[in-house]
Amino acid sequence: MTRNIITLTLNDLAIAFKNKTIYLILFIPFFVFFSLKLVDRADAQFKKINIGLIQEEMYAPVILRTIKSADRVFTVLRVSNEEEGKRWLKEKKIDGLLLRSEKEQNSLVLVVLKKESLLTLSIVENFSALQKAAEGNSINWISDIKPVQESGIEKQTLPTWILMLVLLVSFIIMPAQVAEEKEKKLLLALLQTPMREIEWLIAKLFLGMILILIAVLFLHLLGKFDLGNVLSYVAFIGVGSFCFSSYGIFLGFLCRNQASARTLGVIFYLPHLLPSALSDFSQKLTAVAPFLPSYQFYEPIKSILFEEGRISTLSLEWIYLLLVGLLTLFFSYLLMKKRWLM
Amino acid sequence: MQIEIHNLTKVYSEKRGLLPTSLDVEKGELIAVIGHNGAGKSTLLKMLASWLLPDSGQVLVDGINLGNRSAVVRKIGFVPETPNLFDFFSVEYNLKLFARLFQVPFLRIEEVLKEFDLLPFRDNKIQVLSKGLRQRVSIGRALLADPPVLLFDEPTSGIDFEMTKEIYRLLKDFHASGKTIIFTSHRPEEIKTLATRIIVLHQACLVFDGSPQKYFQSEIHEKLYL
Repeated sequence: MTRNIITLTLNDLAIAFKNKTIYLILFIPFFVFFSLKLVDRADAQFKKINIGLIQEEMYAPVILRTIKSADRVFTVLRVSNEEEGKRWLKEKKIDGLLLRSEKEQNSLVLVVLKKESLLTLSIVENFSALQKAAEGNSINWISDIKPVQESGIEKQTLPTWILMLVLLVSFIIMPAQVAEEKEKKLLLALLQTPMREIEWLIAKLFLGMILILIAVLFLHLLGKFDLGNVLSYVAFIGVGSFCFSSYGIFLGFLCRNQASARTLGVIFYLPHLLPSALSDFSQKLTAVAPFLPSYQFYEPIKSILFEEGRISTLSLEWIYLLLVGLLTLFFSYLLMKKRWLM
Repeated sequence: MQIEIHNLTKVYSEKRGLLPTSLDVEKGELIAVIGHNGAGKSTLLKMLASWLLPDSGQVLVDGINLGNRSAVVRKIGFVPETPNLFDFFSVEYNLKLFARLFQVPFLRIEEVLKEFDLLPFRDNKIQVLSKGLRQRVSIGRALLADPPVLLFDEPTSGIDFEMTKEIYRLLKDFHASGKTIIFTSHRPEEIKTLATRIIVLHQACLVFDGSPQKYFQSEIHEKLYL
């Protein structure tokens, strides 16, 4: 009995090697570890905070002096006006922007990217400590906090969930579907008919896009989220679903069977999901992520949902996605013509 | 000539695939391609069915180049060794799907179901059918567009004696109706009374092409099978 169990276990392991499942076991921890390394670890402990001050603004001298003297806590950066400050916030060049409060003298308004975040909490705590050291227990310098992205935490995470859904359909379901048709010789059976290769590819593309649209629609029906500009939002989901469905079909063509396709799908899924979704937490990831099509989908969705972005102002992003979609579709067509791994 | 094959080549490795092969097939012939495993029988048929792309060479079917796939698929029906059908769907669904793609009327499906005794199984899913029945559905599908040339890759592989006899009866019927048939087998004794011409492949080379009578008296038969 023991001998049989060992024999069968070794056989299963051999199959796992053969269909490349074993690579996932190595790849997933490696990739998660690598992504976590790129997330700014100092955030959780101590990191110098970049504070933006407006050049011509008349701040209370005591506040200015205290901030400048706390150079181990704050780095002060000057911005020309509030608009530039907000832009720097989005680009993560600064962590917070200080404006003079119009309501109360000697008070400040703190502008941050998100109100509900560890970073905002850290800025407020540090200011409170500095103020205590400088003035004792007087009225708080920061009288108001204004977020650039105004919405609840639930909605803040929506772009990440949307990206997850889109990538799940595109990189996990679509490659397996294509590889299954190759593995069972169904695609060859279909190629025994007058059907043209491009017709099959477009049908698969529609399948991917429909699955993505149903998943996103279902999520919205459940969550009843405010969409911002509906037309831009739907258009971007459409362009994204085209790009990633096409990408998924291409991955399917690189595999001989479903098991390999699933493995390859996960290998592409994580590097597209994590850097984009975690880019909010890391300047390093923000520098790397723009090269990924997932980031060019994720950021515009965020912009449409939170910053009144419109598809007309996001031309570069949707053209990029369209090009990636067309390129991968063309590669799939070439592989299909060559009967690649069929 | 219905099929003209000029220097058709596909090389996987040394002695695997099909080395440059030329032959002509007349309309209405019933040809058995025989040889041991790996001799190149399936490679030849798969290239004729556009499943494999040749490394070099040319094939004309009724004057149409094999490269013109959308035109040539109406000329050739291919029945692979393992039926490649949509397992989760019914017999009728499978035939309807291919009838749509071939743009043949649904009336033809009824004819095929009747011709291959599939009427009682029309609503059955493919996955619950025996291999013999699946093979019949596969043959029915290949005949939907009524192609003049039929290719069968090991049609009796893995099926019982009764079903083998049934398949051979079908091949004879198709031949009698004027179709050109090429099928592969690695059991020459079985096709003794069936084929009008025998082609023998050995280690990717064509080593015999002639009548069954000549073949069974030849040294090749003795060398390869006795």
